[in-house]
Amino acid sequence: MHSNNYTLGFVFIVTIILGSMLSFTKDSIKDLQEENLKADVQKTILRSLNFDENLLLSNELIEQTFKSYIDAKCVNIEGEVVECAIEEIDIEKNVDVLPIYIRKDNNEIKGIALPVAGKGLWSTIFGYIALNPDTESVLGIQFYKHGETPGLGGEVEKKWFTDNFINHPLKDASGSISYVPKKIRNTSGKIVSIKVVKGGVDYSDTNMESIHQVDGISGATVTADGVTDFLLEDLLRYEKTLDKIRDYGTI
Amino acid sequence: MELFNSESKKIISDPINVNNPISLQVLGICSALAVTIRLDQAIIMTLAVIFVLCSSNVILSLIRNYIPNRVRIVIMLSVIASLVSVVDELLKAYLYDMSKQLSVFVGLIITNCIIMGRAEAFALKNGPSKAFLDGIGNGFGYGLIIIIVSFFRELFGAGTITLPDGGAGYVLWRIPESWYAAGYENVGLLVLSPGAFIILGLVIWVQREMAGVEEDA
Repeated sequence: MHSNNYTLGFVFIVTIILGSMLSFTKDSIKDLQEENLKADVQKTILRSLNFDENLLLSNELIEQTFKSYIDAKCVNIEGEVVECAIEEIDIEKNVDVLPIYIRKDNNEIKGIALPVAGKGLWSTIFGYIALNPDTESVLGIQFYKHGETPGLGGEVEKKWFTDNFINHPLKDASGSISYVPKKIRNTSGKIVSIKVVKGGVDYSDTNMESIHQVDGISGATVTADGVTDFLLEDLLRYEKTLDKIRDYGTI
Repeated sequence: MELFNSESKKIISDPINVNNPISLQVLGICSALAVTIRLDQAIIMTLAVIFVLCSSNVILSLIRNYIPNRVRIVIMLSVIASLVSVVDELLKAYLYDMSKQLSVFVGLIITNCIIMGRAEAFALKNGPSKAFLDGIGNGFGYGLIIIIVSFFRELFGAGTITLPDGGAGYVLWRIPESWYAAGYENVGLLVLSPGAFIILGLVIWVQREMAGVEEDA
Protein backbone atom coordinates (compact mmCIF):
# COMPACT_ATOMS: atom_id res chain seq x y z
CA MET A 1 0.00 0.00 0.00
CA HIS A 2 1.34 3.42 -0.97
CA SER A 3 1.29 6.31 1.49
CA ASN A 4 -1.31 9.04 1.21
CA ASN A 5 1.32 11.56 0.23
CA TYR A 6 2.57 9.34 -2.58
CA THR A 7 -0.95 8.83 -3.86
CA LEU A 8 -1.77 12.52 -3.81
CA GLY A 9 1.55 13.39 -5.43
CA PHE A 10 1.04 10.80 -8.15
CA VAL A 11 -2.46 12.03 -8.98
CA PHE A 12 -1.18 15.60 -9.03
CA ILE A 13 1.63 14.81 -11.48
CA VAL A 14 -0.64 12.78 -13.76
CA THR A 15 -3.14 15.64 -13.81
CA ILE A 16 -0.45 18.16 -14.74
CA ILE A 17 0.91 15.98 -17.55
CA LEU A 18 -2.49 15.13 -19.04
CA GLY A 19 -3.66 18.71 -18.69
CA SER A 20 -0.69 20.14 -20.53
CA MET A 21 -0.99 17.47 -23.22
CA LEU A 22 -4.59 18.50 -23.84
CA SER A 23 -3.94 22.22 -23.89
CA PHE A 24 -0.94 21.75 -26.15
CA THR A 25 -3.04 19.77 -28.64
CA LYS A 26 -5.89 22.23 -28.53
CA ASP A 27 -3.58 25.18 -28.92
CA SER A 28 -1.73 23.80 -31.91
CA ILE A 29 -4.87 23.04 -33.96
CA LYS A 30 -7.13 25.85 -32.81
CA ASP A 31 -6.71 27.85 -36.02
CA LEU A 32 -7.75 24.93 -38.18
CA GLN A 33 -10.80 24.29 -36.05
CA GLU A 34 -11.85 27.93 -36.22
CA GLU A 35 -11.49 27.90 -39.99
CA ASN A 36 -13.71 24.83 -40.17
CA LEU A 37 -16.27 26.45 -37.92
CA LYS A 38 -16.33 29.61 -40.01
CA ALA A 39 -16.68 27.62 -43.22
CA ASP A 40 -19.45 25.58 -41.64
CA VAL A 41 -21.44 28.70 -40.78
CA GLN A 42 -20.96 30.06 -44.30
CA LYS A 43 -21.97 26.69 -45.72
CA THR A 44 -25.15 26.77 -43.63
CA ILE A 45 -26.01 30.23 -44.95
CA LEU A 46 -25.34 29.19 -48.54
CA ARG A 47 -27.32 25.96 -48.15
CA SER A 48 -30.30 27.81 -46.72
CA LEU A 49 -30.12 30.12 -49.75
CA ASN A 50 -30.41 27.09 -51.98
CA PHE A 51 -26.94 27.13 -53.53
CA ASP A 52 -25.82 24.13 -55.57
CA GLU A 53 -23.94 21.54 -53.48
CA ASN A 54 -21.12 21.58 -56.06
CA LEU A 55 -20.25 25.10 -54.93
CA LEU A 56 -19.86 23.91 -51.33
CA LEU A 57 -17.39 21.07 -51.68
CA SER A 58 -14.35 22.51 -49.89
CA ASN A 59 -13.61 25.29 -47.42
CA GLU A 60 -11.93 27.35 -50.16
CA LEU A 61 -14.85 26.94 -52.54
CA ILE A 62 -17.32 27.90 -49.83
CA GLU A 63 -15.41 31.06 -49.02
CA GLN A 64 -15.19 32.00 -52.67
CA THR A 65 -18.90 31.41 -53.30
CA PHE A 66 -19.75 33.36 -50.18
CA LYS A 67 -17.61 36.30 -51.26
CA SER A 68 -18.97 36.51 -54.78
CA TYR A 69 -22.69 36.07 -54.14
CA ILE A 70 -23.46 37.17 -50.60
CA ASP A 71 -24.02 40.73 -49.47
CA ALA A 72 -23.60 40.63 -45.69
CA LYS A 73 -25.01 43.59 -43.80
CA CYS A 74 -26.35 44.56 -40.40
CA VAL A 75 -29.63 46.23 -39.67
CA ASN A 76 -31.24 47.46 -36.49
CA ILE A 77 -34.72 46.75 -35.27
CA GLU A 78 -36.07 49.76 -37.18
CA GLY A 79 -34.82 48.29 -40.45
CA GLU A 80 -31.96 50.76 -40.91
CA VAL A 81 -28.56 49.55 -42.12
CA VAL A 82 -25.89 49.97 -39.44
CA GLU A 83 -22.13 49.46 -39.23
CA CYS A 84 -20.99 46.25 -37.59
CA ALA A 85 -18.33 43.55 -37.39
CA ILE A 86 -20.63 40.87 -38.69
CA GLU A 87 -18.49 37.88 -37.74
CA GLU A 88 -18.24 38.87 -34.11
CA ILE A 89 -21.94 39.21 -33.42
CA ASP A 90 -23.29 36.85 -30.78
CA ILE A 91 -26.46 35.70 -32.49
CA GLU A 92 -28.06 34.31 -29.36
CA LYS A 93 -27.66 37.31 -27.06
CA ASN A 94 -27.54 40.21 -29.45
CA VAL A 95 -30.84 42.01 -30.08
CA ASP A 96 -29.79 45.44 -31.36
CA VAL A 97 -27.55 44.76 -34.34
CA LEU A 98 -29.02 42.14 -36.62
CA PRO A 99 -26.99 40.41 -39.35
CA ILE A 100 -28.64 39.81 -42.69
CA TYR A 101 -27.22 37.91 -45.67
CA ILE A 102 -28.58 38.76 -49.08
CA ARG A 103 -28.01 36.56 -52.09
CA LYS A 104 -27.53 38.69 -55.16
CA ASP A 105 -27.19 37.41 -58.72
CA ASN A 106 -26.44 40.31 -61.09
CA ASN A 107 -27.54 42.84 -58.46
CA GLU A 108 -30.95 41.28 -58.16
CA ILE A 109 -32.02 39.96 -54.75
CA LYS A 110 -32.55 36.20 -54.94
CA GLY A 111 -32.92 35.44 -51.26
CA ILE A 112 -32.46 36.73 -47.74
CA ALA A 113 -30.89 34.61 -44.99
CA LEU A 114 -31.44 35.49 -41.34
CA PRO A 115 -29.78 33.91 -38.33
CA VAL A 116 -32.07 32.20 -35.85
CA ALA A 117 -31.09 30.77 -32.50
CA GLY A 118 -32.75 29.67 -29.31
CA LYS A 119 -33.12 27.02 -26.67
CA GLY A 120 -34.14 23.50 -27.56
CA LEU A 121 -34.22 20.86 -24.83
CA TRP A 122 -30.56 20.58 -23.82
CA SER A 123 -28.87 23.29 -25.78
CA THR A 124 -29.07 26.36 -27.92
CA ILE A 125 -29.85 25.56 -31.53
CA PHE A 126 -28.25 27.78 -34.19
CA GLY A 127 -29.38 28.05 -37.76
CA TYR A 128 -30.37 30.22 -40.70
CA ILE A 129 -33.73 30.68 -42.33
CA ALA A 130 -33.78 32.01 -45.88
CA LEU A 131 -36.73 33.76 -47.47
CA ASN A 132 -37.54 34.44 -51.09
CA PRO A 133 -37.43 38.11 -52.23
CA ASP A 134 -41.20 38.32 -51.59
CA THR A 135 -40.13 38.05 -47.88
CA GLU A 136 -43.02 35.70 -47.37
CA SER A 137 -42.20 32.21 -48.61
CA VAL A 138 -39.35 30.12 -47.23
CA LEU A 139 -36.38 29.45 -49.50
CA GLY A 140 -34.66 27.13 -47.05
CA ILE A 141 -33.75 26.52 -43.45
CA GLN A 142 -30.61 24.94 -42.03
CA PHE A 143 -29.36 24.26 -38.53
CA TYR A 144 -25.65 23.89 -37.93
CA LYS A 145 -25.00 23.75 -34.21
CA HIS A 146 -26.94 22.14 -31.42
CA GLY A 147 -26.54 19.66 -28.58
CA GLU A 148 -29.87 17.89 -28.91
CA THR A 149 -30.17 14.11 -28.58
CA PRO A 150 -29.06 12.38 -31.78
CA GLY A 151 -32.03 10.61 -33.34
CA LEU A 152 -34.59 12.71 -31.44
CA GLY A 153 -34.13 16.50 -31.17
CA GLY A 154 -30.96 16.14 -33.25
CA GLU A 155 -33.16 15.42 -36.25
CA VAL A 156 -33.75 19.18 -36.68
CA GLU A 157 -30.61 19.34 -38.79
CA LYS A 158 -31.71 16.47 -41.04
CA LYS A 159 -32.93 16.99 -44.56
CA TRP A 160 -36.33 15.39 -44.00
CA PHE A 161 -37.10 17.98 -41.33
CA THR A 162 -35.75 21.05 -43.09
CA ASP A 163 -37.45 19.96 -46.33
CA ASN A 164 -40.78 20.30 -44.52
CA PHE A 165 -40.35 24.06 -44.72
CA ILE A 166 -40.22 24.16 -48.49
CA ASN A 167 -42.70 21.42 -49.35
CA HIS A 168 -46.26 22.41 -48.67
CA PRO A 169 -48.66 20.19 -50.60
CA LEU A 170 -51.20 22.32 -52.42
CA LYS A 171 -54.23 20.76 -54.02
CA ASP A 172 -55.70 22.50 -57.02
CA ALA A 173 -59.28 22.20 -58.25
CA SER A 174 -58.55 19.06 -60.25
CA GLY A 175 -57.12 17.36 -57.16
CA SER A 176 -53.51 17.13 -58.31
CA ILE A 177 -50.89 18.12 -55.75
CA SER A 178 -48.10 20.61 -56.28
CA TYR A 179 -45.51 21.63 -53.69
CA VAL A 180 -45.00 25.22 -52.61
CA PRO A 181 -42.86 26.69 -49.81
CA LYS A 182 -44.33 27.40 -46.38
CA LYS A 183 -45.13 31.05 -45.63
CA ILE A 184 -44.13 33.21 -42.68
CA ARG A 185 -46.71 35.94 -43.38
CA ASN A 186 -50.45 35.49 -43.16
CA THR A 187 -52.82 36.76 -45.83
CA SER A 188 -52.85 40.29 -44.36
CA GLY A 189 -49.04 40.44 -44.52
CA LYS A 190 -48.38 40.09 -40.80
CA ILE A 191 -45.44 37.91 -39.75
CA VAL A 192 -46.80 34.80 -38.04
CA SER A 193 -43.69 32.65 -38.50
CA ILE A 194 -43.91 28.87 -38.80
CA LYS A 195 -45.07 26.49 -36.11
CA VAL A 196 -43.62 23.04 -35.59
CA VAL A 197 -46.70 20.95 -34.84
CA LYS A 198 -46.70 17.92 -32.58
CA GLY A 199 -47.91 14.80 -34.35
CA GLY A 200 -47.97 16.27 -37.82
CA VAL A 201 -49.72 18.93 -39.82
CA ASP A 202 -53.44 18.56 -40.45
CA TYR A 203 -53.73 19.07 -44.20
CA SER A 204 -57.53 18.95 -44.36
CA ASP A 205 -59.34 21.93 -45.84
CA THR A 206 -60.59 23.07 -42.44
CA ASN A 207 -57.06 23.88 -41.22
CA MET A 208 -56.39 27.30 -42.67
CA GLU A 209 -53.07 27.54 -40.83
CA SER A 210 -51.36 24.56 -42.47
CA ILE A 211 -49.26 26.80 -44.73
CA HIS A 212 -47.66 28.16 -41.53
CA GLN A 213 -47.10 24.72 -39.98
CA VAL A 214 -44.56 21.90 -40.35
CA ASP A 215 -44.45 18.34 -39.01
CA GLY A 216 -42.82 17.86 -35.62
CA ILE A 217 -40.33 15.20 -34.57
CA SER A 218 -41.49 12.17 -32.59
CA GLY A 219 -39.94 12.19 -29.14
CA ALA A 220 -38.70 15.75 -29.42
CA THR A 221 -41.62 17.97 -28.48
CA VAL A 222 -39.53 20.32 -26.35
CA THR A 223 -36.99 20.82 -29.14
CA ALA A 224 -39.82 21.46 -31.61
CA ASP A 225 -41.50 23.98 -29.29
CA GLY A 226 -38.15 25.71 -28.91
CA VAL A 227 -37.79 25.99 -32.68
CA THR A 228 -41.32 27.41 -32.95
CA ASP A 229 -40.58 30.01 -30.26
CA PHE A 230 -37.26 31.27 -31.52
CA LEU A 231 -38.34 31.35 -35.17
CA LEU A 232 -41.17 33.73 -34.29
CA GLU A 233 -39.09 35.81 -31.92
CA ASP A 234 -36.20 36.20 -34.36
CA LEU A 235 -38.34 36.85 -37.43
CA LEU A 236 -40.24 39.61 -35.61
CA ARG A 237 -36.95 41.42 -34.99
CA TYR A 238 -36.52 41.67 -38.75
CA GLU A 239 -40.11 42.74 -39.37
CA LYS A 240 -39.33 46.31 -40.44
CA THR A 241 -36.36 45.21 -42.54
CA LEU A 242 -38.44 42.58 -44.31
CA ASP A 243 -41.29 45.05 -44.90
CA LYS A 244 -38.78 47.40 -46.49
CA ILE A 245 -37.43 44.73 -48.82
CA ARG A 246 -40.95 43.73 -49.78
CA ASP A 247 -42.08 47.27 -50.48
CA TYR A 248 -38.95 48.78 -52.01
CA GLY A 249 -36.92 45.76 -53.10
CA THR A 250 -33.86 46.95 -51.19
CA ILE A 251 -32.74 47.99 -47.71
CA MET B 1 11.09 -10.56 -26.39
CA GLU B 2 10.62 -11.52 -29.99
CA LEU B 3 7.78 -9.46 -31.40
CA PHE B 4 6.06 -12.08 -33.45
CA ASN B 5 6.42 -15.30 -31.53
CA SER B 6 3.39 -17.49 -31.04
CA GLU B 7 2.37 -15.74 -27.84
CA SER B 8 2.26 -12.32 -29.51
CA LYS B 9 0.28 -13.75 -32.39
CA LYS B 10 -2.19 -15.15 -29.93
CA ILE B 11 -2.54 -11.77 -28.22
CA ILE B 12 -3.50 -10.22 -31.55
CA SER B 13 -5.58 -13.00 -33.07
CA ASP B 14 -7.60 -14.05 -30.02
CA PRO B 15 -9.62 -10.85 -29.69
CA ILE B 16 -10.25 -10.80 -33.42
CA ASN B 17 -11.57 -14.31 -33.39
CA VAL B 18 -12.27 -16.57 -30.39
CA ASN B 19 -12.35 -13.82 -27.77
CA ASN B 20 -13.86 -10.96 -29.77
CA PRO B 21 -14.75 -8.01 -27.51
CA ILE B 22 -18.10 -7.43 -29.20
CA SER B 23 -19.33 -10.81 -30.30
CA LEU B 24 -17.96 -12.92 -27.43
CA GLN B 25 -17.58 -10.55 -24.50
CA VAL B 26 -20.45 -8.34 -25.66
CA LEU B 27 -18.63 -5.11 -24.72
CA GLY B 28 -18.78 -1.79 -26.60
CA ILE B 29 -22.28 -2.52 -27.84
CA CYS B 30 -23.51 1.06 -27.44
CA SER B 31 -21.20 2.51 -30.08
CA ALA B 32 -21.53 -0.62 -32.22
CA LEU B 33 -25.22 0.18 -32.54
CA ALA B 34 -24.87 3.95 -32.84
CA VAL B 35 -22.16 4.49 -35.43
CA THR B 36 -22.95 1.65 -37.81
CA ILE B 37 -25.44 3.49 -40.00
CA ARG B 38 -22.76 4.21 -42.56
CA LEU B 39 -19.56 2.40 -43.42
CA ASP B 40 -17.38 5.54 -43.40
CA GLN B 41 -18.50 6.40 -39.87
CA ALA B 42 -17.66 2.90 -38.69
CA ILE B 43 -14.20 3.05 -40.27
CA ILE B 44 -13.32 6.39 -38.66
CA MET B 45 -14.74 5.19 -35.33
CA THR B 46 -12.60 2.04 -35.59
CA LEU B 47 -9.47 4.10 -36.18
CA ALA B 48 -10.31 6.34 -33.24
CA VAL B 49 -10.88 3.37 -30.95
CA ILE B 50 -7.68 1.65 -32.08
CA PHE B 51 -5.71 4.83 -31.39
CA VAL B 52 -7.21 5.33 -27.94
CA LEU B 53 -6.97 1.66 -27.03
CA CYS B 54 -3.32 1.26 -28.05
CA SER B 55 -2.19 4.53 -26.49
CA SER B 56 -4.04 4.01 -23.22
CA ASN B 57 -2.78 0.43 -22.99
CA VAL B 58 0.82 1.48 -23.58
CA ILE B 59 0.72 4.50 -21.26
CA LEU B 60 -0.95 2.61 -18.43
CA SER B 61 1.35 -0.35 -18.89
CA LEU B 62 4.40 1.92 -18.66
CA ILE B 63 3.28 3.42 -15.37
CA ARG B 64 1.61 0.28 -14.02
CA ASN B 65 4.18 -0.29 -11.28
CA TYR B 66 3.81 3.26 -9.96
CA ILE B 67 0.02 3.62 -9.94
CA PRO B 68 -1.31 3.52 -6.36
CA ASN B 69 -3.83 0.73 -6.28
CA ARG B 70 -6.47 2.81 -4.49
CA VAL B 71 -6.72 5.36 -7.29
CA ARG B 72 -6.04 3.16 -10.29
CA ILE B 73 -9.56 3.48 -11.75
CA VAL B 74 -9.35 7.26 -11.55
CA ILE B 75 -5.94 7.27 -13.22
CA MET B 76 -7.15 4.94 -15.96
CA LEU B 77 -10.18 7.10 -16.60
CA SER B 78 -8.16 10.32 -16.77
CA VAL B 79 -5.69 8.85 -19.24
CA ILE B 80 -8.49 7.45 -21.42
CA ALA B 81 -10.56 10.63 -21.21
CA SER B 82 -7.58 12.80 -22.19
CA LEU B 83 -6.80 10.60 -25.18
CA VAL B 84 -10.40 10.65 -26.32
CA SER B 85 -10.47 14.45 -26.03
CA VAL B 86 -7.35 14.63 -28.19
CA VAL B 87 -9.01 12.44 -30.84
CA ASP B 88 -12.14 14.57 -30.69
CA GLU B 89 -10.16 17.78 -31.17
CA LEU B 90 -8.14 16.26 -34.03
CA LEU B 91 -11.31 15.19 -35.83
CA LYS B 92 -12.74 18.71 -35.45
CA ALA B 93 -9.59 20.11 -37.05
CA TYR B 94 -8.98 17.63 -39.84
CA LEU B 95 -12.26 15.78 -40.49
CA TYR B 96 -14.88 18.34 -39.56
CA ASP B 97 -17.84 16.79 -41.39
CA MET B 98 -17.08 13.40 -39.91
CA SER B 99 -16.82 14.82 -36.42
CA LYS B 100 -20.24 16.42 -36.86
CA GLN B 101 -21.75 13.13 -37.93
CA LEU B 102 -20.17 11.12 -35.14
CA SER B 103 -21.18 13.90 -32.71
CA VAL B 104 -21.27 12.64 -29.13
CA PHE B 105 -20.16 9.14 -29.96
CA VAL B 106 -16.50 10.11 -30.19
CA GLY B 107 -16.72 11.48 -26.65
CA LEU B 108 -18.49 8.33 -25.60
CA ILE B 109 -15.41 6.25 -26.45
CA ILE B 110 -14.47 7.11 -22.86
CA THR B 111 -17.28 4.91 -21.62
CA ASN B 112 -16.58 2.12 -24.10
CA CYS B 113 -16.12 -0.88 -21.80
CA ILE B 114 -13.54 -2.42 -24.13
CA ILE B 115 -11.00 0.29 -23.34
CA MET B 116 -11.46 0.34 -19.57
CA GLY B 117 -11.70 -3.45 -19.60
CA ARG B 118 -8.43 -3.97 -21.47
CA ALA B 119 -6.67 -1.45 -19.24
CA GLU B 120 -7.75 -3.23 -16.08
CA ALA B 121 -7.48 -6.81 -17.34
CA PHE B 122 -4.35 -6.58 -19.46
CA ALA B 123 -2.36 -3.36 -19.49
CA LEU B 124 -1.91 -3.21 -15.71
CA LYS B 125 -0.49 -6.74 -15.69
CA ASN B 126 1.73 -6.80 -18.79
CA GLY B 127 4.61 -4.91 -20.41
CA PRO B 128 4.08 -2.10 -22.93
CA SER B 129 4.82 -4.08 -26.08
CA LYS B 130 2.35 -6.80 -25.18
CA ALA B 131 -0.17 -4.18 -24.11
CA PHE B 132 0.24 -2.48 -27.49
CA LEU B 133 -0.42 -5.75 -29.33
CA ASP B 134 -3.44 -6.35 -27.12
CA GLY B 135 -4.72 -2.90 -28.10
CA ILE B 136 -4.24 -3.67 -31.80
CA GLY B 137 -5.97 -7.03 -31.46
CA ASN B 138 -8.97 -5.75 -29.55
CA GLY B 139 -9.23 -2.63 -31.72
CA PHE B 140 -9.37 -4.71 -34.88
CA GLY B 141 -11.72 -7.18 -33.23
CA TYR B 142 -14.07 -4.30 -32.46
CA GLY B 143 -13.59 -2.75 -35.89
CA LEU B 144 -14.16 -5.99 -37.76
CA ILE B 145 -17.60 -6.42 -36.26
CA ILE B 146 -18.81 -2.82 -36.60
CA ILE B 147 -17.50 -2.60 -40.16
CA ILE B 148 -19.39 -5.75 -41.11
CA VAL B 149 -22.55 -4.49 -39.38
CA SER B 150 -22.32 -1.04 -40.97
CA PHE B 151 -21.63 -2.52 -44.41
CA PHE B 152 -24.90 -4.45 -44.34
CA ARG B 153 -26.87 -1.65 -42.69
CA GLU B 154 -25.76 0.92 -45.24
CA LEU B 155 -26.03 -1.36 -48.27
CA PHE B 156 -29.52 -2.65 -47.53
CA GLY B 157 -30.78 0.31 -45.51
CA ALA B 158 -29.64 3.26 -47.60
CA GLY B 159 -28.50 1.53 -50.81
CA THR B 160 -24.99 2.97 -50.81
CA ILE B 161 -21.45 2.11 -49.77
CA THR B 162 -19.56 5.13 -48.49
CA LEU B 163 -15.85 5.35 -47.78
CA PRO B 164 -14.35 8.10 -45.63
CA ASP B 165 -12.71 11.08 -47.32
CA GLY B 166 -11.89 14.59 -46.18
CA GLY B 167 -15.47 15.76 -46.41
CA ALA B 168 -18.89 14.20 -46.28
CA GLY B 169 -17.78 10.78 -47.52
CA TYR B 170 -17.02 9.27 -50.91
CA VAL B 171 -19.81 7.13 -52.32
CA LEU B 172 -18.08 4.06 -53.70
CA TRP B 173 -21.16 2.34 -55.01
CA ARG B 174 -24.84 3.06 -55.13
CA ILE B 175 -27.69 0.74 -56.01
CA PRO B 176 -28.59 1.67 -59.62
CA GLU B 177 -31.87 3.44 -60.30
CA SER B 178 -32.92 0.60 -62.59
CA TRP B 179 -33.15 -1.73 -59.58
CA TYR B 180 -35.54 0.62 -57.84
CA ALA B 181 -37.51 0.91 -61.04
CA ALA B 182 -37.73 -2.87 -61.13
CA GLY B 183 -39.31 -2.89 -57.67
CA TYR B 184 -36.33 -3.13 -55.32
CA GLU B 185 -36.71 -1.20 -52.08
CA ASN B 186 -34.35 -0.20 -49.29
CA VAL B 187 -35.06 -1.78 -45.92
CA GLY B 188 -35.81 1.30 -43.81
CA LEU B 189 -35.72 -0.73 -40.61
CA LEU B 190 -31.98 -1.25 -40.94
CA VAL B 191 -31.30 2.47 -40.67
CA LEU B 192 -33.07 2.55 -37.32
CA SER B 193 -31.63 1.18 -34.08
CA PRO B 194 -33.68 -2.07 -34.09
CA GLY B 195 -32.07 -2.88 -37.43
CA ALA B 196 -28.67 -2.56 -35.79
CA PHE B 197 -29.70 -5.03 -33.10
CA ILE B 198 -30.88 -7.54 -35.68
CA ILE B 199 -27.76 -7.33 -37.85
CA LEU B 200 -25.49 -7.37 -34.81
CA GLY B 201 -27.30 -10.43 -33.46
CA LEU B 202 -26.83 -12.26 -36.76
CA VAL B 203 -23.15 -11.28 -36.93
CA ILE B 204 -22.59 -12.48 -33.36
CA TRP B 205 -24.25 -15.79 -34.20
CA VAL B 206 -22.19 -16.35 -37.34
CA GLN B 207 -18.98 -15.26 -35.64
CA ARG B 208 -19.49 -17.55 -32.65
CA GLU B 209 -20.37 -20.42 -34.95
CA MET B 210 -17.18 -19.85 -36.98
CA ALA B 211 -15.00 -19.49 -33.89
CA GLY B 212 -16.55 -22.66 -32.50
CA VAL B 213 -17.50 -21.10 -29.19
CA GLU B 214 -19.92 -22.92 -26.93
CA GLU B 215 -21.79 -20.97 -24.29
CA ASP B 216 -21.44 -22.52 -20.81
CA ALA B 217 -24.78 -23.86 -19.68
